[in-house]
Amino acid sequence: MNASNIGRWMLVLPVTALFIALSWGVSLADGKGIFASKNCGSCHQIQGPAAEKTFDDQLKKKGPELWYSGSKFKKEWLEEWLEKPTTIRPLKYNSVTDKNTDKHPALSKKEADEVAEYLMTLTAKEVAKGTAEEKVTPQGKNLFIKRYSCVGCHSIKAGAQKVGGVSGPDLSEAGKRLTADWVYAYLKEPKVFKPVKRMPVFVDIINDNEMKTLAGFVAAQK
Amino acid sequence: MITKIFLITVFSIGTIAFTGKGAAFAVSAEENYKFYCTQCHGSDGKGEGANSKPKVVGIDLPEMSVTPRNHTNPEDMNKLTDTDIESAISGGGAAVSKSTIMPPWGKTLTEAEIKDLTAYLRKLCKCKGK
Repeated sequence: MNASNIGRWMLVLPVTALFIALSWGVSLADGKGIFASKNCGSCHQIQGPAAEKTFDDQLKKKGPELWYSGSKFKKEWLEEWLEKPTTIRPLKYNSVTDKNTDKHPALSKKEADEVAEYLMTLTAKEVAKGTAEEKVTPQGKNLFIKRYSCVGCHSIKAGAQKVGGVSGPDLSEAGKRLTADWVYAYLKEPKVFKPVKRMPVFVDIINDNEMKTLAGFVAAQK
Repeated sequence: MITKIFLITVFSIGTIAFTGKGAAFAVSAEENYKFYCTQCHGSDGKGEGANSKPKVVGIDLPEMSVTPRNHTNPEDMNKLTDTDIESAISGGGAAVSKSTIMPPWGKTLTEAEIKDLTAYLRKLCKCKGK
């Protein structure tokens, strides 16, 4: 590489880096701006850590907290869902009686992509990468259905149909939206994410290996 | 009287701090019941909560065929001792040789809350148990 080539690269590299940084920055700012302009924050908390201490604190929330979205969700799913929202919870948020008929506002494709990009920047340090592997195993199925009966509150696919309870989020396609690492972290340290919730605390009930197997099973439901 | 209240308060705070679980705020048994138990046992305790409805007919999943206990049925509830009820709440169905579809609440609720819930169930069934 001669001196003129080096000089050229010295110019090209910083300009490229600046361009990438600016594009990312603009996109991020747009996503954040759209989130604010659509008033998404009126239902979704984006500032951690979790502050709920009482049942009332939880019950007054209108929608799921999003302050750890980037650790919880898969970006492709967020992009698709924000454009064409579907029902995840069979019952209304915080209700144990009323069917969920709420229609979540839909964004345009461009808006959805930008908001997804922004949400993916909201992460929780408690979610480590590579903790659990997405995998349907007989052990995972056994833990989910028989041993701990997660199916009592969460539905999964059984052939072409769904089976399971309705008070918890539908997990029949959980693997499209959730990361195995987040499911594992949620089982392991539930109070970090949802200090007050209707799901039992399974810490010191389900052992670490079983939590990883379960998380892998849940995140493989597609 | 003031000393008694003080001691109870200190003891309660100590228990919560020591066990590290349960609500860190004052909750009545009825409030706990409404928040947790009604998902399956229903708001009136008759075992007809949202998760109790038959889901998909024809699918071989025996776990889902178990119906939640009707807490207002004195005949049924009289078969259980208070200890049976406390064990079932704390360790789930598996702890009393019943279906695992009843999950364990022993790491969610404190022992005191579980005892209070047991007393609340006795009010619902208007029975004393074995």
